[in-house]
Amino acid sequence: MSLALTSPRGRGLRVVSNLVLVLIGVAFLLPMVWLVLASLDTRATLTAKLPEFTLDNFTQVLTPENAWIPLGNSLIISAGTALVTVVVAVLAAYPLSRYTLRVNRPFLYGVLFGTCLPITAMMVPVYGLFVALDLLNSFPGIILFLAATSLPMAIWMAKNFMDSVPISIEEAAWTDGASMLSTLTRVVVPLMRPGIGVVFIFVFIQAWGNFFVPFILVTDPTQMPAAVTIYNFFGAYGAVAYGQLAAFSLLYSVPVLALYVLVQRFSGGSFALAGAVKG
Amino acid sequence: MTATAATPDALRGGPSGDRRRRGRLGRDLLRSTPLLPAVVLLAIFLLGPVISAFYGAFTNSALSGAAAQGAEFIGFKNFTDLFADPDFPKSVVLTFVFLFFSAVVGQNVLGLALALLMRSANKVVRAIVSTIVVGAWILPEIVASFAAYAFFTKEGTLNGMLAAIGITGPTWLYTFPMLAVILANIWRGAAFSMLVYSAAINDVPPEITESAEVDGATGWQRLVRITIPMIRRSISTNLMLTTLQTLSVFTLIYVMTGGGPGTNSSTLPLLAYKEGIAFGQLGFGTAIALILLVVGALCSIVYIRALKPEVD
Amino acid sequence: MRPAPRTTALARRAPKKRVLATLAAIAGAALLLSGCAGGSGDDGKTIKVAYQKFGNFIQLDKHMKKVKAEYEKANPGMKVELVPIAAQETDYFTKLALMNKSSSTAPDVMYEDTFQVKSDVDAGYLAPLDSYIDKWDEWDQFFDNAKQAGLGDDGKTYGISMGTDTRALWYNKQLFEQAGIAVPWEPKSWDEVLDTAKTIKQKLPDVIPMNVYSSTAQGEAASMQGFEMLLYGTKDTLYDTDSKKWVTGSKGFTDSLQFIKDLYGGGLAPSPDQALDKNVGTKVGAEWLPQGKLAIALDGSWMSGTWLEDGSAPWPEWNDVMGQAPMPTQDGDDPGSVSMSGGWTLAMGSKSKNKDAAWDFIALALNKENSKSYDIAASQIAVRDDVSKDPEYADANPSFAFFSSIVPVTHFRPATSDYSKISLNIQVAMEAVLTGQQSPKEAAAAWDESVVGIVGEKNTTK
Repeated sequence: MSLALTSPRGRGLRVVSNLVLVLIGVAFLLPMVWLVLASLDTRATLTAKLPEFTLDNFTQVLTPENAWIPLGNSLIISAGTALVTVVVAVLAAYPLSRYTLRVNRPFLYGVLFGTCLPITAMMVPVYGLFVALDLLNSFPGIILFLAATSLPMAIWMAKNFMDSVPISIEEAAWTDGASMLSTLTRVVVPLMRPGIGVVFIFVFIQAWGNFFVPFILVTDPTQMPAAVTIYNFFGAYGAVAYGQLAAFSLLYSVPVLALYVLVQRFSGGSFALAGAVKG
Repeated sequence: MTATAATPDALRGGPSGDRRRRGRLGRDLLRSTPLLPAVVLLAIFLLGPVISAFYGAFTNSALSGAAAQGAEFIGFKNFTDLFADPDFPKSVVLTFVFLFFSAVVGQNVLGLALALLMRSANKVVRAIVSTIVVGAWILPEIVASFAAYAFFTKEGTLNGMLAAIGITGPTWLYTFPMLAVILANIWRGAAFSMLVYSAAINDVPPEITESAEVDGATGWQRLVRITIPMIRRSISTNLMLTTLQTLSVFTLIYVMTGGGPGTNSSTLPLLAYKEGIAFGQLGFGTAIALILLVVGALCSIVYIRALKPEVD
Repeated sequence: MRPAPRTTALARRAPKKRVLATLAAIAGAALLLSGCAGGSGDDGKTIKVAYQKFGNFIQLDKHMKKVKAEYEKANPGMKVELVPIAAQETDYFTKLALMNKSSSTAPDVMYEDTFQVKSDVDAGYLAPLDSYIDKWDEWDQFFDNAKQAGLGDDGKTYGISMGTDTRALWYNKQLFEQAGIAVPWEPKSWDEVLDTAKTIKQKLPDVIPMNVYSSTAQGEAASMQGFEMLLYGTKDTLYDTDSKKWVTGSKGFTDSLQFIKDLYGGGLAPSPDQALDKNVGTKVGAEWLPQGKLAIALDGSWMSGTWLEDGSAPWPEWNDVMGQAPMPTQDGDDPGSVSMSGGWTLAMGSKSKNKDAAWDFIALALNKENSKSYDIAASQIAVRDDVSKDPEYADANPSFAFFSSIVPVTHFRPATSDYSKISLNIQVAMEAVLTGQQSPKEAAAAWDESVVGIVGEKNTTK
């Protein structure tokens, strides 16, 4: 009966599936095509059209003030956030994964709850907090805040990855009398390196793309990340230069697209992120 | 959903486990120390603002004017003002419209459809289309928002294409702002649902669907009777996650329509930003934010209920 | 959440040491950098100057850079940190207020709109300048109304005026001739303005007949260049200065909104989606007027600054193409025309750690030479006697004579700290009418209600 798979009906299904997928793919691609075409167009408008080819948009955008400083700021914020998050999340994941503690349940509930908080709703009080702690325009402050917002998801992911590390290997270390910390750093972390990489990149991508948090918490133009300065191309420099806007958008997007490719290599499949966060 | 890895300490000693010398409480305390950095960070930067929101929502705190110097406690005035303001119920309705059509229906149905279609599709098509769909999700939110703006704006790509086949497109962002932002949010978020559902469907044992096929079940019957029930937990989790993500969408709408025209696409986050930050009425904005938080918290509780066996 | 079989397989894969090491190195370097890049000198040797730089408005940025160089040269050891805020007007106020709230970000010197002064004095953001101006020999040069513009409710001076402005109708003479309308154009009432716009629509269908800023996205420009230019030309007003009460339920208010409705509803204005675009101000100056796409603009005296050689959209022929006409009163009642005046000041932050240095910077930025060069570049109406009499200033821009000539009919916005909030609600009312969500009557009623909410029933009058 396995013939059914190659029956005419099966083949028909295949053709229809492919066709529908291609249509959806084209629909999804159209908004993005504009970014590429406009970035290469001397006279970019808001419509995707064949460009009068030029690289001027990129050369005009690639100045320290327009590109390198904001992108550098983005890098500092995102990498700092990812590092803090990974360290804290892995630490927290260890007792959650390895022991039955009375704090585990309330903690996990709290973390689950934190996953769900609409961060946008909190920006006014967060701003108040930053004023009170004198952390406006401070990279460490923004990094710690973004780390706190990414922690709930990161702890879940880290716990899942840690759960999949076989416990038997640690037993040897325990019998040797190794402390919890050294067991974690010497035995568990090396075994879950790819998982840590996935968490790091996941957090990095989120922090890199975050617009609203630095939009409110950074006022010093020299410290603004690309997510905020990109908004300036949308009218702050006189008539909107769509070509430059598109060019900068691409430059700003390339690192996260590259990291996503990296995460796929890490996890050997494109579904690792979702696999790690799904219920 | 497999249970968490077997917990060893019931059977064996832990890393520093000499049970006789320390009491259980002391040992537990020591073992939970790695949680401390996380607890501190979450307490300061998540719990702190939430608690201060509960206070701030009852003050007249402002960005300028006398109230900027010393905010006063004004009881429920922000809330009574809010409920008297016709913009508020409108905003609540818009928020639910946005949630329902873009998250519950759009992202979930399209995500599931994509996941199913991928299974019976050609390898190359699958690779290309999934890369494109995921690309829209991976793009930084502000870039995705610009792309969506350029697509829907009056002189944008969509109307350009319609013009090519002789149709004069409407001014989408002005005439149908909600439709535009809903479609944009589906475009932006469908990948997440697709990934979740693909992973879930992969875990459905192939023998089950095969035996159903042997029994002569049609593709549709197999989907409704076998696949969907098998992945229902993924569906409920995903519904929750996409709802919550969509609840806090700000940038996409801010860039595309700014919440306008008038208040025609002002969902609660937009309204909170406009009143609280742009109009400088921090206390009033916090009151709106608090309502948003409560809605999020209610969703969270449903979500936690759904996941409960996992935590226990 | 589950440890899927996939992730188990993943854990067993050979660890990608190099990639992970690279990631760690990046993150480490980032943390180091973030440590170094902390707050800039709070040692009193650096003064922070915050101002707006957005769209066509680049003249102030140039001015500040020039003054910074002069200041640092004259005061060795001192540094000026310029903080240009790239935001359009409404967002600029927000960003500035956000900065002012925290002592670590509060500027020493800031570019402050006169209508925000009182509100920001109440907020405790600004420092009084009286002890400085008492000793400043140039203070006598400032006109009295310019001095008043910088007063707080307590009668102290908080802002030093950089220049003022008036508002009127700019029109494209070439388009008028093509449409067969006599030039110079001298409309005598609102109806004549609307009739002219209708003629243009009929004769030149591709041209936008008239622009009046009317949405929240344009912020104060909508209130002032738009609404108040209408309302102050009716028999009613916004604020009764004698009784210190806000005027609600006036016929003039509804009539002004009706004008907006006639304009936008009649297709005599930009399309609503254009009108709601926050960049419409940039477009009017840099594109629509120079390219002949817009015939009439109710706009400010500074408009030509964009078209000067140093402006953001140079247009050498602007003076041959563009004409100016005073905005008529509703029915041509005395004095026949109307204008509104505002202007910006330099103010000192109350949290400044070196107020003397901040003052020196303000005094330098607004001395005769610097006031003159700024007023010329930004097309401001001079507020210093010596500048206005300077032939270099008077000859610099052919439109100065016209805009100074309407000073006698000009009005100022209500000088109260509630104005900014009430102004926001005017914009909300305009936008509701523009988009057709409310009729002029409904929008006016909603505005009445919001005013009562802001100042209380007893501070309003019918």
